[in-house]
Amino acid sequence: MPYAFVRGRAFRDIVIVLVLVFGVGSIAMLLAHVSPLVAFGALFDGAFGTREEVAETLVQATNLLFPALGIAVAFRAGLFNIGAEGQLILGGFAAGWLGAQLPLPWYLAIPMVLVAGALAGGVWGAIPGFLRARFGANEVIATLMLNVVAVLLATYLVNGPLALPGSGASETPSLPHAAQLPDLVADSRLTWAFPIALGLAFVLRWMLQRTVFGYELRAAGDAPEAAKRAGIDLRRTAFVAMALSGAIAGLGGATIVAGELHRFNTGLSPGYGFIAIAVALVGNLDPLWIIVASLAFGVLQSGGIAMQAEAGVPRDVVALVTGLVIIALAGRRVVAARRST
Amino acid sequence: MNPVLAGILAVLGLTLVKATPLIYAALGGVLSERSGVVNIGLEGIMIAGAFTAVVVSGLSGSPLVGALAGVLAGAGVAALLAFAATRLGVDQIVAGTGLNIAALAAAAFGLVLIYHQPGASREVPAFGHAGENMLILLAFLAAAALHVVLTRTPWGLHVRACGEDPSAAEAAGIDALRTRFTAVVIGGAIAALGGVYLSLAELDLYSDGMTAGRGFIALAAVIFGRWTPFGATGAALFFGFFAALQYSLQRAGVPSELMQALPYLAALVALAGFAGRVRAPAADGVPYVRQ
Amino acid sequence: MRRRFGAVQAVDGVDLELLPGEIHALVGENGAGKSTLAAIAYGAVRADEGTVEALGVVGLVHQHFKLIERLRVWENVLLNREPKRGWTIDVPAARARVLELAAKYGLAVDPDAVVETLPVGIKQRVELLRELDREPAVLLLDEPTAALAPSEIASFFETVRGLAARGTAVLVVTHKLAEVIAYSQRVTVMRAGAVVARHLTGETNADAIAREMVGGEVPALATRAATEPAVLLEAHGLSATSGTSALTDVTFAVRAGEIVGIAGIEGNGQSALADALAGIVPFTGELRLAGVVLRPDDSPAARLARGIRVIPQDRRREALVLDWDVCDNVVLGRQRTLPRAGYDAAAREVIERFDVRPPDPGAIVGMLSGGNQQKVVVGRLLSGAPKLVVAYQPTRGIDIGAAALVQSRLIEARNAGAGVLLISFELDEIFACADRVLVIAGGAFVGSFDRAAIDRGRIGALMAGGRA
Repeated sequence: MPYAFVRGRAFRDIVIVLVLVFGVGSIAMLLAHVSPLVAFGALFDGAFGTREEVAETLVQATNLLFPALGIAVAFRAGLFNIGAEGQLILGGFAAGWLGAQLPLPWYLAIPMVLVAGALAGGVWGAIPGFLRARFGANEVIATLMLNVVAVLLATYLVNGPLALPGSGASETPSLPHAAQLPDLVADSRLTWAFPIALGLAFVLRWMLQRTVFGYELRAAGDAPEAAKRAGIDLRRTAFVAMALSGAIAGLGGATIVAGELHRFNTGLSPGYGFIAIAVALVGNLDPLWIIVASLAFGVLQSGGIAMQAEAGVPRDVVALVTGLVIIALAGRRVVAARRST
Repeated sequence: MNPVLAGILAVLGLTLVKATPLIYAALGGVLSERSGVVNIGLEGIMIAGAFTAVVVSGLSGSPLVGALAGVLAGAGVAALLAFAATRLGVDQIVAGTGLNIAALAAAAFGLVLIYHQPGASREVPAFGHAGENMLILLAFLAAAALHVVLTRTPWGLHVRACGEDPSAAEAAGIDALRTRFTAVVIGGAIAALGGVYLSLAELDLYSDGMTAGRGFIALAAVIFGRWTPFGATGAALFFGFFAALQYSLQRAGVPSELMQALPYLAALVALAGFAGRVRAPAADGVPYVRQ
Repeated sequence: MRRRFGAVQAVDGVDLELLPGEIHALVGENGAGKSTLAAIAYGAVRADEGTVEALGVVGLVHQHFKLIERLRVWENVLLNREPKRGWTIDVPAARARVLELAAKYGLAVDPDAVVETLPVGIKQRVELLRELDREPAVLLLDEPTAALAPSEIASFFETVRGLAARGTAVLVVTHKLAEVIAYSQRVTVMRAGAVVARHLTGETNADAIAREMVGGEVPALATRAATEPAVLLEAHGLSATSGTSALTDVTFAVRAGEIVGIAGIEGNGQSALADALAGIVPFTGELRLAGVVLRPDDSPAARLARGIRVIPQDRRREALVLDWDVCDNVVLGRQRTLPRAGYDAAAREVIERFDVRPPDPGAIVGMLSGGNQQKVVVGRLLSGAPKLVVAYQPTRGIDIGAAALVQSRLIEARNAGAGVLLISFELDEIFACADRVLVIAGGAFVGSFDRAAIDRGRIGALMAGGRA
């Protein structure tokens, strides 16, 4: 696509997002009888006011960046993985459950915790990938339902057969210090998860643009029929892309557990997996632009908490605006022709 | 009465209760998809219906007025999706996902604004048992009515034409975009009744997450029911049966989370088993852009 | 009238007059602007300049039927004009109206049949009935016989003559000159969006019209060399199904250095043949390539690895990634074997050998003309010395220069020792290129002709014979 065209659209998208955030946001704030100036002031102050608040903004950006990258991988392959939320939760559970009982030094414990999360998320992504590759089952509906099942399954496991001694209701015991991700900024929840996420974005960008696997994945997404006739195995691509997508989201869940909460609990995600859809779309499914988008949404997330606490505007406004951003940006090139396996 | 027979009857009765919201949502999905618009936003439409019905019932003191408001709200939310799908030519699946997120958040926001508490509304005047039975009966009547509309009326034929080949429909002088818009909005009104049923018939309040993914099961029911009103109703009953079964099995000591997952797993299995053997309307989910 | 599509002037300053009761032929090469003119006259496309005047309703029968496959015949014919009883459709009345129309024009159909179950010839009748129900004063027929067998063509034009006799003005858009001479009273020739000649049909002949259409001589094809006749592909009792296309129990062989033309009307098993060879659908029976047995369930990748290259029918959907540039499209299918550093050179080679314009590896394929898109596809598939080339309608809808280039490269591939299976609905293309012709009808081969013994009339009769 000609560069000027892309740039024009990116500009249009930014205008749409700004109008939605400030327009709809202001209306909602007025409904809550709060001046938009006060509320947005509280929001931005909450996101940037102090060193710790900036750190928390980066924490929220990190938590969105992982699932958004996973979603982008699937979308680029022509697969609507709406199941990042479930993949993230199960990844968090696997990390918390394994991490809480690992008597190992940090250089073994941390990688194992992260890998466990990626594996669990990968399996949860691979299920709809398999159903699609093997039976042609619609991955959208499958992932939507697996989100619900994931929460139920994690709740069942953490309270039932995999309950560990010393755990509370719906959570695992605390991870030993060796299994926790080291802090990046003292007195904050910002850990090494942030640079890991940034590095992952660059790796994925390279993978998509520079490797044979990335080439085949994009071909399968952009022109499935042509890709099939050129010898690309669409079933295998669908399976691998979904598994990889789930693994990235699961890794995100693991970093939340190992970095911020230091334990798994069933409420670890306030919908990161869904907000990440907006992040991926605003980032034009390009890993590097997704970094930028995740920072913007990280501001809304961390500032939203302050806005609720200090200005009395429910932070659900942020989710409302996010949903509207998704609707508005659904018009961009997402997937050309999907109905073909 | 024989305790086994009584148990079976209890499960069947509960099946009707659990299936009814699914039937409404699935019928809304059928109408929308027959016109060529995949409605992933059924869940959000149910939320809008359930929430608005509770608020208006509380304000007016009449559950009937509340139900009407809920239906209008569902139609309004569906109109947003229909506008995006027909006029902006957006990807319907992504837009529907956004709609679900926005509807859930708007209801949560509304709870705080109106009831000054997060999580759930207070109790409002609801339909009670007789009203619940009427809504159950109405679901089946709606299925029959939709069948007649789709197969026997000019508008139904135009809807099907737009779902199969909108450009051919336009060549015959049909406004495909308007037909799709209307179908999605009416479908939204029907699906919203599923939400109304949950909040004003099964319960008497709105609580966050009360639709619990039923809109997604309804999407599976649409496919399972081969995009026909009666088929989708049958599929909704099938999934409703698994939802009902969980209560009986729970009493037998099976953990509740696993039982709650049962209808979703049944829908997943149905989805995998039926994929490839059923054909969606040819232009289902394909934005129509005029030349 | 003028009409501009992007940078291309499709129709430029054309005047055309139709008289009641006449059959008027509008002829021209692909891309000459005929279909655009018809669409403007119908009102489906707006002219940038100029006016259309008609005394009464204008009807249009499309080249690609505008029928809704999964609806019934009566639903298609009466769509948006349904007879009503109260607020429901009066189905018995609808049925009766279709039967009455059918009887009036001698176009027998079953009003309750679902369109997708009907053969092409009957679909054409449904399309025509739909327009006739509106009692048009002007009827535009856009390539109406493209999918019909010769016998169906004759009966179709009998119906059209009957219409003209009732006072309807008929415009037939076509590039089949035999039909022009046989059935029209007047003929208008278009080239590059403009009218270049008008004749009373009785005062001209097919050769003269052909020269006017092309505007000079047709580019010459590559000359064919003598080649070694070693058997390359053997098929025994081959059967396959792809969608609605079916191939039943065919046995044939292709030799190395030979172009075998598969002549037939669209929808007689050609897609099943191409897809079975490409590995898109499995086959039953036996298939050997250079003596090696091919597995019936090979993937497309396995067939590519064996040196089988299939140029698909629908280049935009089945061969190209339209959002990508020429370079990445040239690589498609070779991404695993070609080192990344070789992408650019591979693209430049194809661009040069096939004269792709613009000669820029970074050009987005979706923005290229159809001819240049096809050059990219054929260039990609012919590079790397393929053993067997299956070319399915390789020049469909592209300009004459690009078509001649594509055909020349196919002949060169044959001279270099490849076996070529040329599947085409255009007999002229087959006669120009093939060393041998197999006639396909009803999913089976019903005739075989060596180049020296080609008999146009016999082949036409055989093509029609296998059909219901």
